[in-house]
Amino acid sequence: MTERIGLFADLHSNLEAFEACITRAEELGVTRMVFLGDLVGYNADPAALIDRIAALVEAKKAIAILGNHDEAVFKDCRTQMNASANAAIEWTKTQLKESHIAFLKNLPLIVNEEKMCFVHASAYNPSDWNYITDSMSAWRCVQNSGKSYTFVGHAHEQALFYQSAVGKLIRFAPHPGDEIPVLQHRQWVGVVGSLGQPRDGNPEACFAVFEPGLEVLTFHRVPYDHFAAADKVRRAGLPEDLANRLITGK
Amino acid sequence: MALNTDIEAVDDIFQEGKVVDGFVIGKEVHRGGMASLFTATKEGINVPILLKIPRVGRDQPVESLIGFETELTILRSLKSPFVPQFLGAGNMATRPYIAMERVEGRPLEDLIKEGKIFTIDEVVRIGADLAQAVQSLHSQDAIHLDIKPENILIDDKGKLTLIDFGLSHHARYPDLLAEEMRKGVGSAPYISPEQVAGIRSDSRSDIYSIGVIMYELLTGELPFGNPQTMSGLRKRMWAEPFPPRAIRREIPRWLQEVVLRCLEPRAADRYQSATRLRQVLRDPEGVTLTERADRVEPPSFWENLKGMFRAAGYEPSPSPRPSMGNHDAPLMIAAIDTRQSDEDLRDLMQLTAKNLLHAYPESRLVCISTISSTPTFEGNQENETASGIVRGHLVQLMDWAKPLKLPPERISYHVLEAMDPASRIVEFAKDNDASLILIGASHKLPNKVTPWRTSMTKIVEEAPCSVHIVRT
Repeated sequence: MTERIGLFADLHSNLEAFEACITRAEELGVTRMVFLGDLVGYNADPAALIDRIAALVEAKKAIAILGNHDEAVFKDCRTQMNASANAAIEWTKTQLKESHIAFLKNLPLIVNEEKMCFVHASAYNPSDWNYITDSMSAWRCVQNSGKSYTFVGHAHEQALFYQSAVGKLIRFAPHPGDEIPVLQHRQWVGVVGSLGQPRDGNPEACFAVFEPGLEVLTFHRVPYDHFAAADKVRRAGLPEDLANRLITGK
Repeated sequence: MALNTDIEAVDDIFQEGKVVDGFVIGKEVHRGGMASLFTATKEGINVPILLKIPRVGRDQPVESLIGFETELTILRSLKSPFVPQFLGAGNMATRPYIAMERVEGRPLEDLIKEGKIFTIDEVVRIGADLAQAVQSLHSQDAIHLDIKPENILIDDKGKLTLIDFGLSHHARYPDLLAEEMRKGVGSAPYISPEQVAGIRSDSRSDIYSIGVIMYELLTGELPFGNPQTMSGLRKRMWAEPFPPRAIRREIPRWLQEVVLRCLEPRAADRYQSATRLRQVLRDPEGVTLTERADRVEPPSFWENLKGMFRAAGYEPSPSPRPSMGNHDAPLMIAAIDTRQSDEDLRDLMQLTAKNLLHAYPESRLVCISTISSTPTFEGNQENETASGIVRGHLVQLMDWAKPLKLPPERISYHVLEAMDPASRIVEFAKDNDASLILIGASHKLPNKVTPWRTSMTKIVEEAPCSVHIVRT
């Protein structure tokens, strides 16, 4: 059976989006999953989300990576985040049990496989949480990962950085559902997009599927009940702007 | 990267008689600088097969591989009767090949080299067919970017096929050649000024190249020669080409207008879609003549100097998404039932058409009417002959459109022969890349007359574009 990897990032305690994406990924025949960090933060279901991901990791169906919001649960990172993000972290802490926090603490910062590298922000100084938004940041990332394929999250918008004829890494905005050939002899950085808090003006949840055997990467967008998710955010007493973000996708 | 060591063996893998992924390799039919071509057969594939193998190895330029990768990506995604069908590919790193349909035909380049003199009609037909072929790429968000006589195959029946997508661009895939500025990307005589400036995302570049080819076929000369230097390449950003009519007097003024408009330095001054170019070539009466049509003298020193100043600040026009060309200059079809006697509906359809045409200043209207079939014999009366019947319908269509007061270049009329009008209308919309079909549905139609409900449903279901149903 050819391997088909589901890539999910910036899930941010959004259970509705999570379930919709996992269902879709299973329909697409995903053989294993990688959660690229920021499992918690912003939204209303941190405990439920960690439970589900921990079960998948336990069953060896998935691996999970540490993100900056996950780190903020057990480490003081207040100066690095905005007010709403900090408020959400404080609230998240009240929702989690010891076991949840232990799970987050044990997450690796980066995972390297033969041809692939998985990391939340960038393979370049992963613990500094550098965003990959342009050619330079993508180049630094591949220089450090040294792999053909590096998959990241952190920046919430889907993007594919590729090595062009001039060697430079160029940003490409993928179209959901298109199978993009990503041949192994080049270096690629896939920013898979945010599952739990999309910010490109489209409220649909993001994820991606990579098929190493076929050398094909496909970005996906999945509609889900974002009104329900936003409603939960409001009822949890989290900042109003976090609920609105889910509705507008901005 | 680790590529070259594996690649070394490519020449050993691809030899006559060997089998790769089920493809039985036949004769080598071509060996070029970038690739070798072999015939092949495979069980289950009933079309002739061509395998394209990149020339890679220590002494080969890296461009050959990027071009190969680009072609693989784009050919795999395209569905067009003007492009060889994609049949499979091998692993890039170990045994790179693309299997495609082996298309009949000779390169247009061969005909040019043999010194063939093309008649005006032949050039017009090749230009119109090229525009149609190119439109089939643009409508799929792809741009060829290397349209030249070498890459155009013509078979015995005159059917065109575009080949070689090694320099092409597809808006939905990463462009491996982006920001590649070295000279030699593209073919010097045929590339557009914006390609010279390094822009690879403008579908109107292909329209420029069609202009160069038509110029060449008409006059036997290249409008800007075959420059080998950057400054030579930049000449097309400002210079006016020698007017074709100054070289070959019999070229009609309208055709000079069309060719020179394709060769405008700024993409925004050319035809904005290949569909539009095809329409003007097929319907010269719709061409608005400007001073381009009248040029007979080579451009003066002063005009060239003015052009050079403009080019000093040459700014390529912003490139719309290839498939969007038709959105700004939409083609609308009004399907008119000439037997219709519902006056209210007639008025409302005219008003709707008028409003839509007003909203898009570059839009065009095609009025069509269908007839079941024309008699195969010629009758005695004018109104019984095939041409008489068609003419009768045309008169009615023109009468219908009269209140719209459209200039001739924005409107045309067609009478389509069809047993099944709905299918024919849909087919016509597809062939012409229409953006909208406008039809009227009368309440006053007696039930016994034609099953129009079925027709309407069929059009709505199968149309390749929006359908606007006018009701009173």
